[in-house]
Amino acid sequence: MVWQRVTLNQPLTAQDVSFVVNGETSLSEVVEKLGAPNQMLSSNGGVVARYQFTDGRYFRVDFGWGLRFLIPFYSPELVLGGGGLGTDAFQVTYNDDWVVQDHGFAFHSQSSEFRLWPFKD
Amino acid sequence: MKSTSSDNDEVSFTKDRESALALWLVLTFLLGSGCAFVRGNYGEDMNQGDVSTIKKGVSTRAEVASILGAPDRIITEPNGHDIFHYYHYDVKSGYVLIFSRTNIKSDDIFVIFNSAGVVEDVIAGKKKPPLEFQFWPFD
Repeated sequence: MVWQRVTLNQPLTAQDVSFVVNGETSLSEVVEKLGAPNQMLSSNGGVVARYQFTDGRYFRVDFGWGLRFLIPFYSPELVLGGGGLGTDAFQVTYNDDWVVQDHGFAFHSQSSEFRLWPFKD
Repeated sequence: MKSTSSDNDEVSFTKDRESALALWLVLTFLLGSGCAFVRGNYGEDMNQGDVSTIKKGVSTRAEVASILGAPDRIITEPNGHDIFHYYHYDVKSGYVLIFSRTNIKSDDIFVIFNSAGVVEDVIAGKKKPPLEFQFWPFD
């Protein structure tokens, strides 16, 4: 039986980014408050900077573990388990003057969960 | 009937043995079930001092490469900008009994060049605080 969790970076909240105003906030102001982004991508609309927080959870139980005491030479694994991986992303698009053009959140980190029963749809 | 001093000694000795046995069982369970603390990293940790030597409007692509090394990624912009991306990952993982937690932190630096190949901006936030070793997966 094991509970495992993996996280990448720290989550950002809507309050953390409330200072960002489209058409006003500059790249340096965003970096000063939020740090460097994790990703910068090129797009036709300008440069897109992304801050990401990834959360992964996994749970498993081996129901065959105890059988090793009953069957000495063969210990079958009877494993049930499951998990998930989700990423929160805060995305900022900058224009050619490095001013915020638009910004938005995507919340998916709650989609990760410890799951015992893998057969549920 | 009154208990003698040797009876008391025997009871005390038995209790000590039970305590020692319980301790041994707990330790065996803890050590036998496993515990591990693992540390890893990817890429070189960027020195903030090195980054501060890069001058906006002065430093060239070659100078940046000589200070920070070859970038991990180069992003080319349609408007002529090139962006050098340097990254460093730090991993700390704790595993105790049936609980495991792995924390990963990324530190990124972006250097933006104009179409002439001169630094226009350096994007390096404050260094993130060091990761903690954790094993509890539920918080």
